[in-house]
Amino acid sequence: MIYHLLEKLDQKLHFGRVKAHCDIPCGIYDPIIAQIAALTVVRMIDLMTGLEGGEKKDALEYHNTISRYIAVKEEHAEKAKHEIRVIWGDYLKAQHLEKHPNAHELVHKIMQLGSKVRQSANRETALEFVESINQFAEIFWETKGITTKRAKAPYAPNLELVYPNL
Amino acid sequence: MLRIQRVQGESLSPEYKEGDFVVITTLPFFLRRLKTGDVIVFQDHTYGTLIKRVEGFEADGGILVGGSHAQSLSSHILGPIRAEAVIGKVIWHIRRPLEMQ
Repeated sequence: MIYHLLEKLDQKLHFGRVKAHCDIPCGIYDPIIAQIAALTVVRMIDLMTGLEGGEKKDALEYHNTISRYIAVKEEHAEKAKHEIRVIWGDYLKAQHLEKHPNAHELVHKIMQLGSKVRQSANRETALEFVESINQFAEIFWETKGITTKRAKAPYAPNLELVYPNL
Repeated sequence: MLRIQRVQGESLSPEYKEGDFVVITTLPFFLRRLKTGDVIVFQDHTYGTLIKRVEGFEADGGILVGGSHAQSLSSHILGPIRAEAVIGKVIWHIRRPLEMQ
């Protein structure tokens, strides 16, 4: 009744349109981007540590190099957070969360760790960041019915990552 | 204060479907008290006037939005929504009758 009335009014008044817009329905989600970004954070901390303990360079060169490492660490910590937020916000639905009730808590932990690894150069925190994202990857692939394995990444810092068994 | 708008697209389906009407409030009182799960209408410079569900908030006040399924245009593409871009909050949803779908 109300609907029909509104429809008649719409024909005369032309109410505004609001788009419940879909993008190109790619449906492409993969935690590997976040995993590699987290690995990059560890790599940058390793490079920073190496620079500190290595041969003394002149101040200008030193500051230039360390700034570049820090910039990449910042960028990749944020990238990892962004990617996890997207999968959490866009992909994970109620039925997934019912099966994985710890997902919210895990995502929150990843967000916190992502900030901590930006604020410090603590390798242990960065390792925890990688591991938490690995755990998220296990949840993600499980929702797709795909089993996972853990294997060392074939590049420095050669940490264990979760990969889907495709 | 109140506006009637019509939904286009299926990103909020099955709750909001193409052709449904929504009544939104534009009162700042309501817009300052948004919470997760609210459905909002906002302006996006690329896609125009959009309707989406609030899925979270960033520490700096940015609003994260999404639809009801994995293919929805969401904050993945849009980025966080600024509070100033929010036009209104849905307070009444008038569904298209089943026989017309």
